[in-house]
Amino acid sequence: MIRLTGIARTFLVGGEEVHALKAVDLAIAHGEYLSIMGPSGSGKSTLLNIIGLLDRPDAGSYELDARNVTALSDDELARVRREKIGFVFQFFHLVPRLTAGQNIELPMVLAGIDPAERRTRLTRLLAEYGLEERAGHRPDQLSGGQCQRVAIARAMSMGPTVILADEPTGNLDRHTGQEVLSVLERVHHNGGTVVIVTHDPEIGARSHRRLRMLDGAVVADEKG
Amino acid sequence: MRFADLLNFAWQVLRGSVSRTLLILLAMGIGVAAVVVVTALGEGARLYVANQFGSLGSNLVIVLPGRSETSGAMPGVLIGKTPRDLTLEDALALGRSHAIRRFAPLIIGAGDVRAGGRSRETPVLGSTSELMDIRHMEVAQGLFLPQGDPRHSQPVCVIGAKVASELFGSRTALGDWVRIGERRFRVIGILAAQGQSLGFNTDEIVIVPLAAAQALFNTESLFRILVEAKSREQIAAAKADVEEIVRLRHEGERDVTVITQDAVLATFDRILRALTLTVASIAAISLAVAGILIMNVMLIAVTQRRREIGLLKALGATGGQIRLAFFTEAMMLALGGAAAGLVVGELGRSLAVQLYPTIPFQAPWWALIAAPLTAIATAVLFTVAPARRAARLDPVQALSRR
Repeated sequence: MIRLTGIARTFLVGGEEVHALKAVDLAIAHGEYLSIMGPSGSGKSTLLNIIGLLDRPDAGSYELDARNVTALSDDELARVRREKIGFVFQFFHLVPRLTAGQNIELPMVLAGIDPAERRTRLTRLLAEYGLEERAGHRPDQLSGGQCQRVAIARAMSMGPTVILADEPTGNLDRHTGQEVLSVLERVHHNGGTVVIVTHDPEIGARSHRRLRMLDGAVVADEKG
Repeated sequence: MRFADLLNFAWQVLRGSVSRTLLILLAMGIGVAAVVVVTALGEGARLYVANQFGSLGSNLVIVLPGRSETSGAMPGVLIGKTPRDLTLEDALALGRSHAIRRFAPLIIGAGDVRAGGRSRETPVLGSTSELMDIRHMEVAQGLFLPQGDPRHSQPVCVIGAKVASELFGSRTALGDWVRIGERRFRVIGILAAQGQSLGFNTDEIVIVPLAAAQALFNTESLFRILVEAKSREQIAAAKADVEEIVRLRHEGERDVTVITQDAVLATFDRILRALTLTVASIAAISLAVAGILIMNVMLIAVTQRRREIGLLKALGATGGQIRLAFFTEAMMLALGGAAAGLVVGELGRSLAVQLYPTIPFQAPWWALIAAPLTAIATAVLFTVAPARRAARLDPVQALSRR
């Protein structure tokens, strides 16, 4: 479903070339629950951004759902992102002036989905993530765990191919983190593909496939 | 993205920062209101002058004796050739022209008007019955001067409203006698109060038949001949006819000056229009300033909302959608500001009307269209740069920072 071949990404930092990714090959199948671990600067976030089509590789090719997305235009990438990718961020990234419900609706609004259809989906998502009571609250009236649940509901609203979570528990206490993690695991149980970037070994241990990265390369790929 | 959603999204942004929104609306509103008020004042002044000329009479051509230009060599001046008088016969000859509807010869002098024990020094006009129609005069009581041969006269007069009240008080003036100089005239009409029109107050005059005025002031020469052309288009022809007829009668000498009301009016019109345009464009500068304000606010918004813009991109917003969102926001601000400005401008206009009821303050239609249009155009124009910057924002960088 996701096939990266020879993906490389180089940044210029202070006039010096930094190889964030060096010829990474990676295949992720449908329904996998995968974690990417590694120290800071090992290239795990860059890899996630490239999978999420937020960033373009300098070399290599990327195939998503049997379609080569390496050379798409910015607008086409935006459309693919909208349809197939769901992001969950460490700092939630909810729009502060919008209510929880409106935040969840945002991708559907951008996609121009019919309001009636949006309402049906929103009701279902709110129920699924236990947010019925909180639909009318703004992010500053929600707890961290609730914010991240809103973010996950938002990521799921377009029925994406893959959920990409960048340190989803990094900004939460241990208990809430576990809770959010179990929500993501439920997505996986329902047949979704989940990719988590983390440097918490405990979280990594819960996933079914663990990638370890170091200096822009995948150094370990364990399953089971 | 659906249009309704786009509007709603921009609306939420605007509602999210109330003071920012209100400040921009204020700046835009002031700009639009300034243009509306300034043009209303200018247009009001223009219409006022036009009305003043209109109250003089329509399609008016004024003939005055003498030629206001230097001609000939020094010897002629030394001989001291004075222009011929304009006479009643000259005036009557004008009746030959087909371009002229009617004409009224005019003599003006000052007379000591007495009635009962009271006496008053007033301007005395000698003219014919045509004067009433040419000058658009109205008679409140009685009749105007009788028609007939202007060479002969009856001892009658028409007096202004103020003259009537001053001389007769509460007594009925109509039918009574007044004495002007050594002559007695019966009051046959009282003019309606019309007030000032171009420095000439019809409330304070006494009108007698032309021949009576000639006798009273012991003169054959006319002060003016007022001529009314048959239509606006005939004014030029009437002017040419007057010049030709008088020239023939004065042995080929062009010794009268003919003024058309149109020429004077057109000059005033041009001056006031230019003035209005100038001041309106100064007011329009404030609109440009408001536009720059919008640009600044938008640029700040792009910086402040980096995270949000990055997020929207991650959620699948295209660059075009982000640009559109910014333009929608600017457009709503401009429309709101323009609407507020039009309302405030209208309030200012009605205030001016309250203060000066005689002047018809009315913003011209082009200003009512141009002011909001300029507001919208500047808003859109000045949003191009911020919107582009937002659309080009790199989502990875925008999202990586807290």
